[in-house]
Amino acid sequence: MISKIQNVKGGITGDMRGIVTDIMRFSLKDGPGIRTTVFLKGCNMVCKWCHNPETLSIKPQLLSYSDRCIGCFACAMACKYGATVIEGYGPGSKLAFYKDKCVNCGACADVCYTGARVMSGKEMSVDEVMTEVLQDINYYQNSGGGVTISGGEVSVQHEFALAILAACKKAGIHTAIETNMHADWRVFERLIPELDLVMLDAKLFDNESHRKWTGVSNSLILENIKKISQCLPIIVRTPVIPGVNDTEEEIAKIASFVKGLDNVEYYELLLYNPLGESKYQALGMENQFSGQKPQSGEKKRLLMKAAEACDKVVKVL
Amino acid sequence: MRDRINQHNPDAPMGYRDRMAILRRHKIEDTQDKKGLRQYADGDDYGAITPPDDFQFKPYSNHPNGSWYGYDGWSKTFYKLMEDHPVFIDPCDAFPNRFMVCLSFVRPFPPSFNPEYPYDDLRERQAKYSIMGGIGADSHFGGDYRVGLEVGWGGLLEKLEKYREINPGHDDFYEAEILTVKGVQLWMKHTVEEIDKAIELETHPLLVENLKEMRANTEFLIDHKPETLRQACEWICWFNMASREYNRDGAGGQLDELLRPYYERDLEAGIIDKEKAKYYLACLLLNDAHYYQVGGVTVDGEDMVTYFSYMILEAADWLDSSCNITVRVHKNINKDFLKTSVGYLFKNKNGWPRFSGDDALTSGFMRKGYSKELAVQRVAVGCHWMSLPGMEYCLNDCVKLNNSKHFRIALDEMMISDDEKSTARLWELYCKHTRKAVELTAEGIMFHLKYQAYNIPELMLNLICHGTVERGLDVTAGGVDYYNMCMDGTGIATVADSFAALEQRIEKEKRLTWEEMYAAVTSNFEAMGGEVTRRMLAASERYGGGNTIGDKWAERVSKAFADDVVSMDTEKVKFIPGWFSWSSTITIGKQVGATPNGRKAGEPINHGANPHPGFRKDGALTAMSNSICTIQPGYGNTSPIQLELDPGMANDEEGVAKVVDYIRTICEQGNTLLNINIIDADQILAAHENPDAYPDLVVRVTGFTAYFCLLTPEFRKLVVERILTAA
Repeated sequence: MISKIQNVKGGITGDMRGIVTDIMRFSLKDGPGIRTTVFLKGCNMVCKWCHNPETLSIKPQLLSYSDRCIGCFACAMACKYGATVIEGYGPGSKLAFYKDKCVNCGACADVCYTGARVMSGKEMSVDEVMTEVLQDINYYQNSGGGVTISGGEVSVQHEFALAILAACKKAGIHTAIETNMHADWRVFERLIPELDLVMLDAKLFDNESHRKWTGVSNSLILENIKKISQCLPIIVRTPVIPGVNDTEEEIAKIASFVKGLDNVEYYELLLYNPLGESKYQALGMENQFSGQKPQSGEKKRLLMKAAEACDKVVKVL
Repeated sequence: MRDRINQHNPDAPMGYRDRMAILRRHKIEDTQDKKGLRQYADGDDYGAITPPDDFQFKPYSNHPNGSWYGYDGWSKTFYKLMEDHPVFIDPCDAFPNRFMVCLSFVRPFPPSFNPEYPYDDLRERQAKYSIMGGIGADSHFGGDYRVGLEVGWGGLLEKLEKYREINPGHDDFYEAEILTVKGVQLWMKHTVEEIDKAIELETHPLLVENLKEMRANTEFLIDHKPETLRQACEWICWFNMASREYNRDGAGGQLDELLRPYYERDLEAGIIDKEKAKYYLACLLLNDAHYYQVGGVTVDGEDMVTYFSYMILEAADWLDSSCNITVRVHKNINKDFLKTSVGYLFKNKNGWPRFSGDDALTSGFMRKGYSKELAVQRVAVGCHWMSLPGMEYCLNDCVKLNNSKHFRIALDEMMISDDEKSTARLWELYCKHTRKAVELTAEGIMFHLKYQAYNIPELMLNLICHGTVERGLDVTAGGVDYYNMCMDGTGIATVADSFAALEQRIEKEKRLTWEEMYAAVTSNFEAMGGEVTRRMLAASERYGGGNTIGDKWAERVSKAFADDVVSMDTEKVKFIPGWFSWSSTITIGKQVGATPNGRKAGEPINHGANPHPGFRKDGALTAMSNSICTIQPGYGNTSPIQLELDPGMANDEEGVAKVVDYIRTICEQGNTLLNINIIDADQILAAHENPDAYPDLVVRVTGFTAYFCLLTPEFRKLVVERILTAA
């Protein structure tokens, strides 16, 4: 049964290439049923709490986990740009990394077998993505699952995303995207025919706050959300961030907005996800939310209560 | 053994649920008593309790080495044990007594095959490949309870006498069997006497009433066949306990279909209700953690799940302890029943039920030339295995080949020769040694079949087989119709990943030479640069990743092994391949030097058919499951999927539904058996630190479940590492 599906590929767009951060199979939290989530690289917003900071840039990036290093120095020998060098002599020698000289060529990661140097972002063709995706087609069909394209932000590589979605639809696979809705409406118009579901973020209702924490206005986003809710089933999600939007007032405002939308399958609060911490360190970036924990107990209960103002099904993750 | 008589205030509530709560508490206390006693560690829970401190058993011996052999030795020792056996009564329980002493564990250690039938030469030849050949292993096939339920102990005696007349020349067999039955009856008689004493002492009126019923049933069952559900359950308890005492047999049957007729008869007679029936079922499950299948499929593909199947799950839920219930999944299975069973798995987190895949098991068994009618009757009655109840001898789970050892022998042979160095040449050598190991294993099994009756005859299980009593032959010696002997391979991931690493790193990428690799492997990766080489090899494309180089090698390894095994078939004796290590991953690994998958010398091989931990960055269950489905040998034995899941995966209805859909899909794709642990990493870590603080924590170690606190540190480490890796 598995071998049969190998022949179902993306067709004429199969050669199109894009930058993929990761492909996660047996994904249970990114839409209905058992799914595969394809994470595309590159985002058009810079949310200060982003728990996938390696997906912000569309270019492949080097992550460096010093705690996994066994000191073999293979990376230094592979580096042609003087970014990774051995400093000192004999037993006192050590590895040094000069980020400013690094061109993200990946030569060091290629010879690092401990996972201390890892490249985030790999160029893949639609066919290559589909080869991975199709391995779980039986699970999608039995569970009402499918493929979710996530980011970064899907619309940054919308042509590539469109080609993957089209290939999925051709193979009879349920499709969904996770998006921040911050793109020209024409982008979504093109994606809509290949989509079954849109999982979208409503992060902050106040425009200035939105601009402050994400780098962009939310006017276009809110407008797009209203439009897409006329076209497809949607799941609205709010990442709940300590000190940013984790108040009953803020959640209630978003919930009121959600109340006016059509086709909402449910409204979901995504409690703060601290898993990006090590990635910030590996990228040499500062994490403004370091040490924060997911909301729990009474706080969580009150936030859920506030979310119920949307008059839809409310979930929390 | 604790005193449970008259422990409750006469006013204490004593409904069925109250009794089960008390019995569960007692079980945890009994489990604590078993700690530190070797015979109770690292195996199934068995429902065993410790005998009284002053209990001593001096077995009968018919050999100068102090052991006992054959019909004479085993029947007389068993009878003596029954004569001397303590009696345990818990007034809260529907049934008397518990399993306490296993003759297999009482034998002089290490137990030896009957010295009159030596096989030193074969033993030595098998040792080269570290074969666990199963010679002298006992039980590990399933009887058919119906044979006993239909006539009772008295009826079995009559049957033995009848066939003794018909089959002259088989007196040894019949005398031994008759003595065995009389031994069980003697234990029952002693039990009746002890219940009488308990009735005198007990003051709780409901428990006195229960004891009186218990006494009447036990006395009745000494000679008569069971008539009611309670009596049928008690008869099964007696068989299970006696069979455990004899040689640890733990095979059950398709429990719902076995007991439903008794329940329906009781209902018609107006002597039972659902609550009472669930209490009996829960007590049956408490008495011993035998392997039972619930549900099944008819030859026409119809689902066999009934309301009574639900009742068994509900009873197990009452008990909320170690159980070995398997749900047989097929395309027409009642979806609600499957969902309910997954719900209990996540609710109780005790590793039950497990899920067997009917399509692959049935079609696989039919490839051995058997009919579909027979194939659907081959039910889950063992830790990773199926058996035709009472019709088949198979020695399942007792025979393990060490394929990683074959690989390492082949690698050494290639590297020290002047041969070309390539994975193609290595494959030829690996196949040569595997073939040889399979031949030696088959030779050993044939030896076992020839002489096992003179070593350990199956005097208990013979009683509930079809043909043994009728022919006067032990099950190992032609007593039943079907001989499908198990031959499990082990270390498929270790072997496949090793081939894959060599192909990828040496032949494709040319990052290493054969000599560099071999220097690293033979120095156990401890020479200069060895750790880098080890990491490089270990980071190669592994089995379980999904269409990887390792996956392709695994498929090849499995097919070659299966072809070798089935080619050993004779007219009377067939061989069935599988991939299962049991928890011998540790001992098997200790016998193998370092391997090119980055595994150091003596480290464990992979578990069963599972990939090595770290097989894929996202650890996707679907990828792993697809790989395991692909390498199934496909002749009706299992190569199970072992999963460690976080409780959060299915903490709502949607999550349960997704797990149900996952199970349905893997069974459609060829899965044969799925074992699942539901446990969070923090809890298992804390329990590892302080096992006593978690007296009721049950884990599915491999095919079997055990109380975590009863595992030896080595086994605890095995389970903990597996769970932490999955997390």
